[in-house]
Amino acid sequence: MGTQQAGENFLKLIQDNKGIIVRICNSYCAKKNDREDLAQEITIQLWKAGDHYDPNQKFSTWMYRVALNVAISFYRKTKTAISPMPLDEGCHELEDKSEAADETDGNINLLQRFINELGELDRALMILFLEEKTYAEMAEILGISETNVATKISRTKKKIKQKFSELNK
Amino acid sequence: MIMEDDDLKNIWHEYDRRIEEAKLLNLQSWALNFRWFQDSRIQKARSKLGAAVRFKLFAVLLGVVWIFFLGVLVYGNQLKNLYFTISLGMIILFNVIAIVVYIKHIILIRKIDYSESITDTQKRLANLQLSTFWISRILWLQMPFYCTWFWNSSLIDFSSLRFWLITFPITLFFILLTIYLYRNINIRNIDKWWVKRLMMSGPEYKSLVEAKKFVAEIDEFKKDLLLNKEFQNM
Repeated sequence: MGTQQAGENFLKLIQDNKGIIVRICNSYCAKKNDREDLAQEITIQLWKAGDHYDPNQKFSTWMYRVALNVAISFYRKTKTAISPMPLDEGCHELEDKSEAADETDGNINLLQRFINELGELDRALMILFLEEKTYAEMAEILGISETNVATKISRTKKKIKQKFSELNK
Repeated sequence: MIMEDDDLKNIWHEYDRRIEEAKLLNLQSWALNFRWFQDSRIQKARSKLGAAVRFKLFAVLLGVVWIFFLGVLVYGNQLKNLYFTISLGMIILFNVIAIVVYIKHIILIRKIDYSESITDTQKRLANLQLSTFWISRILWLQMPFYCTWFWNSSLIDFSSLRFWLITFPITLFFILLTIYLYRNINIRNIDKWWVKRLMMSGPEYKSLVEAKKFVAEIDEFKKDLLLNKEFQNM
């Protein structure tokens, strides 16, 4: 038992929260291969950081911190190493899978595009907001104060809403 | 249409549902497989994990060989020529400093804890990248000593014109250039063309520029609260 059992338990925890990895990978990588690479990198870093995990802490908050840190680093590395990726590649892929090209599809693509247009840190903040994290959790994950989170969130939301309304004019 | 917070969240949840349906990223196959995970860890450790670490390890290895070679020369000279010994000694010293800094970087890279807050971790990573500047400054300091290792008492005492009109002015020029470079190769001057030329062009330079921008972005991200307070006090 021992290490293997502990390892499997830990991976079970990751599996239970795999949605976090999927959503973050989709927000930071446009290409499928990159998303898979990033997902593997996140899992490995989660494992490596596992020693620092305090069980009294909420697992998802801890996982967001690791996953977003790895995603931002990965994004910065690929951004400087290769030419910028098309912003909506992931959305097209998503669109291909679903047949109905209704208003929701359009809104999903637009939201994803607007999120992709944000800076790395604002993007992390917006993901956490959409994931319905509390201000306290967002502050803990990002390492800024709650007041700062509130200010930034309201500014970023305003920017995104504005883009939506400009397109709908 | 005017978007509300709930509308944005609904779109996000719908997107989430579609991702799940479309299985854009299928974690099922590997995320629960412990054996895959262990294999992948080893593979990653060999390949991707250490692009930066590998480069620094290579630099350390090269530095050690160079220092060893210079050390053998100094030992062989047996203090017969003081200019030679001092020049090579100083070159060895600056290379040792650079090696120590590289080793420190390797340790820091390996110690990066991704479970710390995003702003702290990212700033540490970006600063680590920027510290390349510091090593470059240190290494430039050895330049004048490459002009003095062949000096000797007879060259200075007896050869008049050749030493004072050629050797000495060239050395003086490199000393002044080194002082100038040491004072001016820093993050503030990263955008100047000559820093770009001297440091490195290409992807590594680009990543340094990006790192500088990112550190400023992180500071701005954290600073907002202060601005807010100022705003509130107005």
